[in-house]
Amino acid sequence: MSVAEFLKGLPSYNEDNFSKFHADSNSRTALKKPSVYIPTKDFPSEQVIVTEKTSILLRYLHQHWEKKGMQKKRDHSSVDTDELNQSRKRPRVDYSTIP
Amino acid sequence: MAFHYVVTAHKPTAVTSCVTGNFTSPNDLNLIVAKNTRLEIYLVTPEGLRPVKEVGLYGKVSVMKLFRPQYEKKDLLFIVTMRYNAMILECVSDGENLEIITKAHGNVSDRIGKPSDTGIIAVIDPKARVIGLRLYDGLFKIIPLDKDNSELKASSIRMDELQVMDVEFLHGCSNPTIVLIHQDLNGRHVKTHEISLRDKEFVKIPWRQDNVETEASMIIPVPSPLCGAIVIGQESILYHDGITSVAVAPPVIKQSTIVCYARVDPGGLRYLLGDMAGHLFMLFLETESRGDGADVVKDLKVELLGEISTPECITYLDNGVLYIGSRLGDSQLVKLNTKADENGSYVTIMESFTNLAPIMDMCVVDLERQGQGQLVTCSGAFKEGSLRIIRNGIGIQEHASIDLPGIKGMWALTVASVGKQDNTLVLAFVGQTRVLSLNGEEVEETEIAGFASDQQTFYCGNVTHEQIIQVTPISARLVSAQSKTLVSEWKPHTEKNISVVACNSEQIVVSTGSDLYYIEIHPNELIMKGHVTLDVEIACLDISPLGENATSAQLVAVGLWTDISAYILRLPDLSEAYKENLGGEIIPRSVLMTCFEGHNYLLCALGDGSMFYFSLHKDSGMLTDKKKVTLGTQPTVLRTFRSLSTTNVFACSDRPTVIYSSNHKLVFSNVNMKEVNHMCSLNAEAYPDSLALATDNCVTIGTIDEIQKLHIRTVPLQESPRRIAYQEQSQTFGVLSVRMDIQDSTGLNPSRPSASTMTQSVTVSSSVGSLSLGKSGVSGMSGANTTPEYGQEIEVHNLLIIDQHTFEVLHAHQLMQQEYAMSLISCQLGDDPNTYYVVGTAIVNPEEAEPKQGRLLIFQWADSKLTPISEKEIKGSCYSLAEFNGKLLASINSTVRLFEWTAEKELRLECSHFNNIIALYLKTKGDFVLVGDLMRSMTLLQYKTMEGSFEEIARDYNPNWMTAVEILDDDVFLGSENSFNMFVCQKDSAATTDEERLQMQEVGQFHVGDMVNVFRHGSLVMQNLGETSTPTSGCVLFGTVGGAIGLVTQIPSEFYDFLLELQNKLSTVIKSVGKIEHSYWRSFHTDIKTEPCEGFIDGDLIESFLDLSSEKMKEVAEGLQLVGEGGMKQECTVDDLIKMVEDLTRIH
Repeated sequence: MSVAEFLKGLPSYNEDNFSKFHADSNSRTALKKPSVYIPTKDFPSEQVIVTEKTSILLRYLHQHWEKKGMQKKRDHSSVDTDELNQSRKRPRVDYSTIP
Repeated sequence: MAFHYVVTAHKPTAVTSCVTGNFTSPNDLNLIVAKNTRLEIYLVTPEGLRPVKEVGLYGKVSVMKLFRPQYEKKDLLFIVTMRYNAMILECVSDGENLEIITKAHGNVSDRIGKPSDTGIIAVIDPKARVIGLRLYDGLFKIIPLDKDNSELKASSIRMDELQVMDVEFLHGCSNPTIVLIHQDLNGRHVKTHEISLRDKEFVKIPWRQDNVETEASMIIPVPSPLCGAIVIGQESILYHDGITSVAVAPPVIKQSTIVCYARVDPGGLRYLLGDMAGHLFMLFLETESRGDGADVVKDLKVELLGEISTPECITYLDNGVLYIGSRLGDSQLVKLNTKADENGSYVTIMESFTNLAPIMDMCVVDLERQGQGQLVTCSGAFKEGSLRIIRNGIGIQEHASIDLPGIKGMWALTVASVGKQDNTLVLAFVGQTRVLSLNGEEVEETEIAGFASDQQTFYCGNVTHEQIIQVTPISARLVSAQSKTLVSEWKPHTEKNISVVACNSEQIVVSTGSDLYYIEIHPNELIMKGHVTLDVEIACLDISPLGENATSAQLVAVGLWTDISAYILRLPDLSEAYKENLGGEIIPRSVLMTCFEGHNYLLCALGDGSMFYFSLHKDSGMLTDKKKVTLGTQPTVLRTFRSLSTTNVFACSDRPTVIYSSNHKLVFSNVNMKEVNHMCSLNAEAYPDSLALATDNCVTIGTIDEIQKLHIRTVPLQESPRRIAYQEQSQTFGVLSVRMDIQDSTGLNPSRPSASTMTQSVTVSSSVGSLSLGKSGVSGMSGANTTPEYGQEIEVHNLLIIDQHTFEVLHAHQLMQQEYAMSLISCQLGDDPNTYYVVGTAIVNPEEAEPKQGRLLIFQWADSKLTPISEKEIKGSCYSLAEFNGKLLASINSTVRLFEWTAEKELRLECSHFNNIIALYLKTKGDFVLVGDLMRSMTLLQYKTMEGSFEEIARDYNPNWMTAVEILDDDVFLGSENSFNMFVCQKDSAATTDEERLQMQEVGQFHVGDMVNVFRHGSLVMQNLGETSTPTSGCVLFGTVGGAIGLVTQIPSEFYDFLLELQNKLSTVIKSVGKIEHSYWRSFHTDIKTEPCEGFIDGDLIESFLDLSSEKMKEVAEGLQLVGEGGMKQECTVDDLIKMVEDLTRIH
C-alpha cells in the first residue's frame, strides 16, 4: 500500500475548516495572543475530589476482617461484642507487618 | 530586610500537552495547548486557528486530557498539576462571554509514596466511568466518576508492577480495564488489570504478554470495534488484543525513539507517530475479516511522512491538519498531503509558533546603542537549537530608501488611478513641494498641475468626490484626482499665512495665528462653515473622525501656544466643548484624536518629547484620565496608521514609538530606528501595507513587524547552544554549542548539517595538545578503545564565533573527542589590552563519577581569525567562569580557583577555595564572589588582596539544589533551585557573633513554577521612560526551561506592604481556575518542605488588575490605603491603582 493511499480520506469534521487558510496573512494574525481569562465570578465546585485517607493495608485488613466477620455471623448467628473483635484484630496487624 | 517584585515579561512557550475536542461548545472544534502554567484555547475555523482564551492556572500542568461523560454533549478537561492538584473543567459560553467552571477539584497526593520516575500518568476510561492515576510506585489511584455524589472519592489500589512505563484504559470492556507496560528483572511486559469500582481492587488479569521489546515505552489503546492495544518500542511495534498478536519491526523507526502519537480516525485504524528526531510517521492497522463479520488486525504498516519540529505532543485537528506541540523548538500547524513534494515529504508547514524554550543561557546587549537592552538567548536543543534575539520594540523591514535631505512632511496619494492603491508620494520641503510617482518599484519625480510646487505643503491627501487637497501657507487647493487640475482654492481673509492645518476626507480646519477656520469639502468647492478667533495662537490641530467607518468629525482638537492647553471644539460652529490646561512650560506640538479598541483617546505630544493622553468622551468632548509618558527628547509628531485592521499611532521623534492598545490599555512600543521626523502609511502596488519614514537625510519605505510587546528574531543553529558571551571589541558573540555525530563505517559524521558544519572556517583542537593523556584516572581515554560503537551518537562540542550584525557563523572551533564545553566568557585579563574568549571544558569519561580533567582555553578573535593564545590543564570540569579584578575566576568541580594572567600570557593559579560539593555557578561584585553549589545553596567569599586568598564570609545552610545565582547588591543574593523556587539570602554583617555573621538568612522565597536556568542583570526597556510612581530599583532578568523570561526588581518596604495588601485583595477577587489557592501556589515547595511565600510580590497577579472590569477594580481598591505626600495615609482610588500598576507593567 502506498503512502498516498494511507493519506486518503483523512477525517473531516467540517470541510470548511482550514479552507481559507492563507499562510502570509495568517502568520501575522496568528501571533495575536488570545486574551487572558480573568475569572471573577465564583462558581462553587459541584464535586470535591477527596483522597481516601486509610492506607491500602488497613483497607485490605478491614475488608478481610469484614469477610471473616460475616462468616462468623453465619457461624454463631450471634452479635458478639466489639471487644472480642478488636482483641482479635490487633495481633493480626502485628503479624502482617512483620514480614 | 529585602523585598522584591517578580514578574513574567514573556510567558512560557514550551508546549507540554495538546488536545482536540469540543470544549467551548458542542459544535466548536477546539485545540487546547498547555504551556507550563497556562492553557491556550483555540477554535478551528476556515481561516485557521483562532485564539479564544488564555487561562492561567496556579500550577504547572503535568497531564491534560479531554473526556466526555456519557450525559454530556461536549468535552470536559481533566488536569493534574505537578503538585498533584486535580481538576475537571467545563467551558460555558453565553455568546461572547466565556467562563471556565471548575466542576471538581482536589489534591490527589499521598502523604507517603515514592513518586514514579516516569512522572505522573493520568488516564480516563473511554466510557468516562473512572479516572486512573499512576503517581507513586506500586500504587494505582482511581477516581470513579460518580455524577451524583458531592464527593469524588480517590482510592489507591496496590499494583504489583513497580516500574510502570505507560498505562492506558482498554476500549470495549464491560468493566474498566487498564493495560500497562512494566519492567522487572527479566525485561518489559504488557499486562492488563480489570478494575472493580465497587471493591476498589484489581479483580482479574484479562490477558498479558510477557517479554515484549526491552525498550517498549508507549501504549496506544485501539477503539472499538477492534479494541486491544498497540505497544510502541524502540525498534518494533506490537498489536495485541488478548487473542491476536501482530508484531512488526520497520527499519524506518529505528533511527530514533517514538515519543508521542495522535489517533487519526475515530475508528482507530490510523495513527500519527512522532519521534525525537522530528520524524512524522503514520501507522496503519490492516484488518481482515474473521468470518463472523468482525474484523481482526492482520498487519501493521508504518510510513515516514516527513519532518516536523521535535514533537512533544501531536493532535489531529481537521481535514488533514495537525498541531505539533514542541518543547524544544517552535510548535507547528502542519498539513498532510496525499502527494509528496520534491523532497519526498507529505508534510507542509502551515504556521510556526515561536518557542524560546529551553533557555539555556542568555546575555543582555545594547547593539544599537539606544539605551535599551536586548536579549540574546541560547534556545532549543538538537535540530531545534537557535539563538533568539528578543527586543522590546518593533522592527522595520526596509524595502527601499531614497536619499533626500530636509523633508518637512510626507503624504501618500492615489492620483489618476482606478485602483485604491497609492501611486504617489508628496514630499514637503522648506519653500517647495516635490511629487514622486511610484511605478512598480520605480520611483520618479513628477508633477501635479493643480499643486503649488513653490510652496511648502502643510497637508496633502485624497479627499471625498475623487479630489485631492493641498494646503500651503498661502491657500488650500482642491485638485481633481483624475485630471490633476485645480478646481477650487480657499484663502484666509486676512493677509496672514496659514500656520497649522488638519484635514480628513470631508473637512479641513486651518489656522492663521489665533484665527481658526472650518471648511467643508464639496464637489469642486471648498465652503467655509465656521470661523473663530481664540485668545492665543494655535500650535497644533486635529480633525480625525472618531468611530468605525466615520468619514467626518464632530470635534476638533486644538493645542495652544502660550496658554499650554488643549481645547476640544465642536463642529461646525467651533464652540468650546472642553478645555484642559496641561501645565508646565512646554508647548504642545501635535494633537491627535484616535480610537483604540472602541475607546476614544486624545493624544497630545509636547515639544520636549513627552506626551499627555486622555480618554475622550465623544459626545461631550470631555477629557478624563490624564496620563503622561515620555517618548523621546525632541518635538514629537503623531500620525495614525492601520496595521492588520487595528489602529496604531506612530510618534515620530528621536525615539520613534508605536502606540497601540492591548487589553484596553495603551502600549508604547519603541521602533528600532534611530530617528524618524515624519511618516505616512503607504499602500502601493510594490509596497503593500507599508510605511514611508523620513529621517534627516532619507526616506525609507518598509513594513512594520507585527506589533507585539517583545519582538523575537530567530537565528537557527540546528545544534544545541549552551552558553553565550558578547564581545563588544570584536563585534561578535561567542557561543558554545553541541552537535550530535554518528559513528558509521567512515568514522564519526555529523547527523545533519548544522551551524558548526556549515561555516566556512573551522579549526579543531588537536587531540594531543598539552593534555598528557593516559594519566592515571583517565586511562582508556585515547586510542582504539574510545572508538564508539557503530551507530552510536557522540556529542561534539564547538566554540562558534557569530557576527553581531548578521548573526552569521564566522568560525567554529571544535573541541577534542570527549571534551565538553562547559563555560564561556569574554574578558580582559591583567594589563593585556586584548579581549579574549575564555572557554572552560571537561574531559568526560563515562566510567568516571565526575570529570577528572579539563582545560581552560583562551582565544582571540581578530582579523577574522581565531587564534589560540593559551591553554591550561585543570583537574576537573570548569562549570563556570568569571572575570575578577583582571584575573580569571573558575569553578572547577568542588573548588573555586583564581588564576593570574602573566606577562607570558599564561594562566597561573593564585589561590583556591574548597568547601563545596560541586561549585556550579559564580557571580562576582567587587571583592566578593557568590558561589552556587550543586546541593549546598549559596556561599559568599571575599578575596583578601593582601593575603591573596579567599575567605568564606557567609553561607546559606539550607540544602538547596541550585540552578542559578545572582548578586542583587552587596548584602542581598538571589538564587533559584531545582524544585522551581526562587529565594533571596541576606548577609548580616552587623550581627554580634561570628556564628551569626557566617550564616546567610533566607529573607525571601517564592515558587516560580518553572526552572530558572540563568539570571542576568539588565533591562528590556528604556530606562526612565516617563515619570513613574513605582520605586523599583535594579533589574535582574531570568530565563527558564519553559521558555519564559521574567524579571526580579527590588522594592522598598512600604511599597512592598502596599503591594502585598493589593495582592491579597486580588487573590480573593480573582478566582482561581481549579480552585488552587494563590498562597499555596506561590509557597516555596520542595520534596522536603513547604513554606509560605515571603519577601516577593507576584507581579503576574498584580498586573492582572488592569484586566478587571471597573466594578471589580473598585472592589479591589476599597479599603486600600496609600502613603501620600507627607507620610499621611490616604484612601487609594482606582485611578491611583491603575496608574501604579501601569507603571509597573512598563518595567518590562
